[in-house]
Amino acid sequence: MADNHGTQDPDPTARQAAGDAQTIERPWHVLTGLRLEESKYPARASLDGEGIVVLRTRSGLRGVQRSCPHMQGTMMNAELIANDTMVRCPLHVFTFRLSDGKGVNCPGFRIRIYEIKEENGAFYGRSVS
Amino acid sequence: MNSATDAFVLKGAHVIDSAQDIDRVADVHVADGRIAFVGSRDTAPGAKIVDVSGQYLSAGWVDIHVHAYGTLGFANPDSVGVYQGVTSFIDAGGPGIGVLDQFMELLGDLETSLYAGAFIRPMGLLGLNFIEGNVRTLGEVPITRWVDFAKEHRDMLRYIKCNAIGDYGPGTLKLTKGLAEILDLPLYMHIGEFQMQKPEHLLAPEAFRIAEAGDMITHLYHGNLGRVLDNSGKVLPVVRDAERRGVIFDLGFGGYNFSWDVAEQAFAQDLVPHTISSDLQQFNVVRPVKSLANVMSAMLRLGMTLKDVVDRVTCAPAKAVRLEDRAGSLKPGLPADITVFRVDAGEYEITDCYTKVRKADKAIVPVITFKGGRRFDADLAIAQQESNWFLQIAEDHVPAAASEFSERQRAFLAALAAVLSTTSWELASAERLDIEKALELQQTFHEVRAKQGLPLKDALRAVYGSFLDQSFTMQIGLLLLRLEQPFAVARLREVSGERSMAA
Repeated sequence: MADNHGTQDPDPTARQAAGDAQTIERPWHVLTGLRLEESKYPARASLDGEGIVVLRTRSGLRGVQRSCPHMQGTMMNAELIANDTMVRCPLHVFTFRLSDGKGVNCPGFRIRIYEIKEENGAFYGRSVS
Repeated sequence: MNSATDAFVLKGAHVIDSAQDIDRVADVHVADGRIAFVGSRDTAPGAKIVDVSGQYLSAGWVDIHVHAYGTLGFANPDSVGVYQGVTSFIDAGGPGIGVLDQFMELLGDLETSLYAGAFIRPMGLLGLNFIEGNVRTLGEVPITRWVDFAKEHRDMLRYIKCNAIGDYGPGTLKLTKGLAEILDLPLYMHIGEFQMQKPEHLLAPEAFRIAEAGDMITHLYHGNLGRVLDNSGKVLPVVRDAERRGVIFDLGFGGYNFSWDVAEQAFAQDLVPHTISSDLQQFNVVRPVKSLANVMSAMLRLGMTLKDVVDRVTCAPAKAVRLEDRAGSLKPGLPADITVFRVDAGEYEITDCYTKVRKADKAIVPVITFKGGRRFDADLAIAQQESNWFLQIAEDHVPAAASEFSERQRAFLAALAAVLSTTSWELASAERLDIEKALELQQTFHEVRAKQGLPLKDALRAVYGSFLDQSFTMQIGLLLLRLEQPFAVARLREVSGERSMAA
């Protein structure tokens, strides 16, 4: 199914962090609603007052805004594709890069993406842009 | 695959051809790529027999609403054509007068007969961010160019399309009606979804008022604002008036414009589409549309008879878009455009555009398509292949096609890169799409091409092949507007070989 996606870096966190070294560090927030023993993904969670959906990718957890910016399809039904570097809303196959949220086949659209990390039994998240 | 000149007989199918009042088991004789005869007759010496008993057979299906070209189109438009039982289709608004030359150059050699339902906007449908309702995106409507084009390419044009959306009242509908009258073509109006736009004026009722006999309104059973029913579920008088005047209602299933609730209420009041079309495009082929056959199955589930369904993809659309001289029937002498199909019994689910599902016990499945006598075995999976509908820019690699470019194409790309490096543009966004910049970029493309003396098709293929792995086609100005300017210039230079020469 996932033919011809190119070979994007599946974990852009390091690249992102390096690129942002000169800018102000974006703050981490406590991620609530996600349990350490969570086994079912996508999972709903909250970050700094915003409801997000947490996806489990091959390179770790990644957060996305809860609904597609196009027609508000829920990202709980989203599909991970292209070696887990993209996420696709099933309603109209609008597809977004997990590195920065840019629309791939829908260049007018962008989705909010969150880094997620686990420290001492708690989850934290922050926006990538 | 048989050649178009073979004589053959399709034997034993149940033939439905209302244009000839045929609805029975009969043989269909084909010779020289044309229908010779329907009925019992001695088989011509040497003619091949194709046993299609137990199946249905009709004239090749005509889908008057697909998106083959442009930002909604497919890498392989035949995937929703001959491989799905469809022998003729119309691109509903992909090209406007400003890109009809690109449209014809690129899509002139499909197996499926393709026609243009040209859009009033010179650029055609935009589709990048769906800000289609802004009257300024119309720019200018060059009547002289339209008249000249229609004189030269009369056969290509089947209707003039506009959307009954926008914030400037019904003026654009009337403008489009005027152009359609000048060109002696039907007017085709979209009354469906608004996408991201917030409608200030409800133009759907205006569409029904403006349409005259032979004009068409698509998305009859949509469930968005401006539907055909009032709040109590009754069909609006303005819709009935249009029906009485002879306005043609088209289904246009699409990704946003078919509601089981609306369809069932309207059908119960005998408001029935005259033509069944799919509105297939990149964003709905996976779900919910899938194929014209799936849309036909939905109409069976709604309560139409099989004959009524078949009429609405054969003789009715052929008449509506004036293709009766070559499509929509099995009359002797017409091209042998034929669809063999099954009606399977089983347990099926048909989903509308609003996630409502109906269980169905029948499904229409195309089996074999003949186009001018040439055989294509139906394969619904081709359209579903991701490479057919997932359009992405090859950002991290140069597409393979670029290695095949001619010296002239490389020289053209180098010249184009040089001009583009002196201009800048803003990427299309959900809020903004700089249509004037798209037109300017397109103009630049044409000027550079003319200077280099490169044929249009070679120039278009050179640009597409620099950025796309698959053979999607779209307005060149809109493709450039998808790219960040520094990336576009660098890639064109790389493909042209300029970088290696400089090194």
